[in-house]
Amino acid sequence: MENEGDLLHTVTSDQISPARIRTGRLMTWGAAALFAALALLQALHEAGHIGAGFDSWRPVLYAYLLWATALCAAQVVTRGEKGKRSLFVLPAVLFVVSLVVFPLLFGLYISFTDWNLASQNGARPNGTANLVQMWNDAFYWNALKNMVYYVLAVSVEYVIAFGLALLLNAQIRARKFFRVVFLLPLMLSPVAVSWMIGKSMLEVRFGPIARAARELGWDSPSFFGSPEMARFMIMAMDAWTFIPFMMIMLLAGLQALPREVIEASKVDGASAWQAFREVIFPLMLPVSVTAVVIRIIFKLKLADIIINVTSGGPGGATDSVTSFIFREYRDRSNVGYGTLLAMVYLVLIILFVTALLKLVSRWMERPA
Amino acid sequence: MKVDLYNYVTAVQRMSRRNMLKGTAALGAAAAMPRVALADGHANLRAEILKIPGVGAGSPTDRDWQTVGEMCLGASKANVAEGEFEGVELTFMGLNNQNLHNFLFRGFLKPWEAYTGAKINWIDLAQADYNARLQQSIATGTVDFDIIEMGAPFEGDVLGKGLASEMPDWVKDQIDMDDYVGYLQAPVGTWDGKTYRVSIDGDCHTFAYRKDYYENADFAKAWAEEGDGSAWEVPTTWSQVNAHSKFLAGKTDPLTGLEAHGFLDPLKGWGGFGFYFLEDRATGYAKHADDPAWLFDPDTMKPRVNNPAFVRAIEEVMELVNTDKAYPADQINADPGTTAFQQFLAGTGGMLTWWGDVGSNARTSDTSVVGDVIGFSTIPAGDAVYNAATGAWEEGRNEAPNMAYIGWGVYVMKTVDGDDKKKKAAWSAAAHLGGKDLSLWMSAYPSGFQPYRNSHFNYDEWEEAGYDRAFVEDYLGSNADSYNHPNAAIEPRIPGIFQYYSVAEDELAKIYAGQYGSVQEGADAIAAAWDKITDQIGRESQIKLYKAALGL
Repeated sequence: MENEGDLLHTVTSDQISPARIRTGRLMTWGAAALFAALALLQALHEAGHIGAGFDSWRPVLYAYLLWATALCAAQVVTRGEKGKRSLFVLPAVLFVVSLVVFPLLFGLYISFTDWNLASQNGARPNGTANLVQMWNDAFYWNALKNMVYYVLAVSVEYVIAFGLALLLNAQIRARKFFRVVFLLPLMLSPVAVSWMIGKSMLEVRFGPIARAARELGWDSPSFFGSPEMARFMIMAMDAWTFIPFMMIMLLAGLQALPREVIEASKVDGASAWQAFREVIFPLMLPVSVTAVVIRIIFKLKLADIIINVTSGGPGGATDSVTSFIFREYRDRSNVGYGTLLAMVYLVLIILFVTALLKLVSRWMERPA
Repeated sequence: MKVDLYNYVTAVQRMSRRNMLKGTAALGAAAAMPRVALADGHANLRAEILKIPGVGAGSPTDRDWQTVGEMCLGASKANVAEGEFEGVELTFMGLNNQNLHNFLFRGFLKPWEAYTGAKINWIDLAQADYNARLQQSIATGTVDFDIIEMGAPFEGDVLGKGLASEMPDWVKDQIDMDDYVGYLQAPVGTWDGKTYRVSIDGDCHTFAYRKDYYENADFAKAWAEEGDGSAWEVPTTWSQVNAHSKFLAGKTDPLTGLEAHGFLDPLKGWGGFGFYFLEDRATGYAKHADDPAWLFDPDTMKPRVNNPAFVRAIEEVMELVNTDKAYPADQINADPGTTAFQQFLAGTGGMLTWWGDVGSNARTSDTSVVGDVIGFSTIPAGDAVYNAATGAWEEGRNEAPNMAYIGWGVYVMKTVDGDDKKKKAAWSAAAHLGGKDLSLWMSAYPSGFQPYRNSHFNYDEWEEAGYDRAFVEDYLGSNADSYNHPNAAIEPRIPGIFQYYSVAEDELAKIYAGQYGSVQEGADAIAAAWDKITDQIGRESQIKLYKAALGL
């Protein structure tokens, strides 16, 4: 038993011989060398420098799995119980590296290649050509501009959601029933919403809403004909689906408010509006900010309704970045450029959300 | 035959009792027939298979498919000994949608499997997943199927990359390729002079119109006053289509009492498929009889989509966009699915170009109201054609039916080439599905496929099988005329053709929304985008493949 170090958490004594340590290191480095050698061999083979190689990268994957297993086993062999402890984390780390970090880096590589699935030559690195193309791509900038409109619409959604939450928090009849009913749109898939509402109810000839509009004197109703109207309708359908989400978060926040403070304001003679403005709203800021930020993150992924209802039209007025990338990638098999657009969008989202969180951080703490 | 068409036909002729009894008697006879007798072949095999299950006797079932598959095995038996493919396993990739496809192939191939000893594994794909799955298999080098059901537009991707197995001569004899309609003959299905495709389908756009518009006395009278002096008749050129469309704007539909409209252009994209509809308007102007090419210059791959012919076609669409009430409201958001099923069949609009589905849905769809007033013809012609070689317009009527999508075929992949037994097995399976007699049954019953052989247009056989001759002649006649037209416009079978269509749809949407200064400017933007795709895929290889596809 060791007399030094972390005695509290050590259960067994480890007398690790130098030979055992050597074996462990041999396992790790041997498997790593095999993995590296096979990867190099396959890379050279794929690049056409050497004839020897495999049909696919699968053997390299097996070598990686072998190395990962050897690395884990070698922890125990070389470090005994400390090694066992690291096994609680190491497989998860390797898993994340394999399925998150590596694909991200590989995606980054692809985004700087010229890779059209129909091309005879596969992926070819093309430097910053994709970036230049993006810079000159009117469709992408148009989609980004639309995203600004879509994100701004969250503020209106927030106001409506807050109002509904206040209503459902008040002592009204059938409160529980309304809470469930108001949540129903959130339970629907946006694809279902786009077909039921966008393609059926708003259908200009047979749709009940169009009929009602005609009854009300609008001769030839068109809900997606002009750019502004189409964008508004997309916003409305998306809002209808997701306002309940904000509403339920805000409702939870309202119910968690300390009643004493609100009652104290009433005792002090505050009107309902004053109580809301001076007490409830400030206390709700952290919940509000969380709800708005999460909603914005949802909004940045907006695509399904647009793809189904307008395909980005008319003339790109409703295109979102995701729906544009979908067309670029799926319809045009333009893997390299599509990936770059997605990567740039990822960076923009990270920067935007970070800045947003920084900006609102002072409201995130409840006033003492 | 497309499923809907079959339903339509049986609805149209409203099954007389005599016909029904004829079908039932045939079904009884077929069921009572010993299998050996069926398989031995008949002097009148074609008439016999058309009686299974009998027109109007309900949709065929798996049992019927197997029976027909077995009755049509004769041609395979002539080339393959019993049990010859024992131990061979083949993988077949195809569609698994409601229009049958793979469902049907399973039934047809079951007796073939029993006879030859081969086993077939199936990869079933939804139509929407098909292109992505195929492209990924090719790009990642993971072709995990031996036989594929594939549309001709993808031949550039597959044949151009040398991924398919060349058709042996014995297969050509077995399936009687000389019987194919004109446009399915080489170069379609061939690449660099080698043959790869077993056709199982034909596709083209035809022109559907409202007969009641042209029989309407009020319209005729108004046209005599407002029109250009011509007779009020079904238009046969695009100029007439536009003149009639402008005339109809603001009038009242005689059938529905709502607003009347003329031609229905889909102004919204449809995953690339929407471009076929601009092509309909353009082929008459752009497809010159002396030149097989009409979308690109074969020597340079320079796009022709911004030449005067296409610009004229787009301008004619814009002419209607800018005419108040020429289109229904919200037309900017109408894709081809909308124009056909929500507008034309529902009584909105007087003219349309589409695939066969419009005819077939006219009486079977719940929302269709035009079943009794619909007529068909080949798509309208241009009244001049642009000669890309001389750069000048040539006056005179120019017909060029658009063979949009060309149709499905069965292809064998190169994966079988290393193993003679497997290769013969794969080709035998493909030849069985594309057999002459089996194809007659497929064209007459729900299968997802349209007629594609000259022998399919022998109307006597249809009549004998219990179909209404007048309907078959009217409806299939417009297809037959398109298929065998000497100046049919056949799309380029080059890699990534749907990428070109998809990007064109995006730019067209901008043109239609008035975001370009002129149509020419918008068309130039399409051409620039097409050039970019060509450069990305590889201009030299595209030129080579395009020439190979054209048979140059």
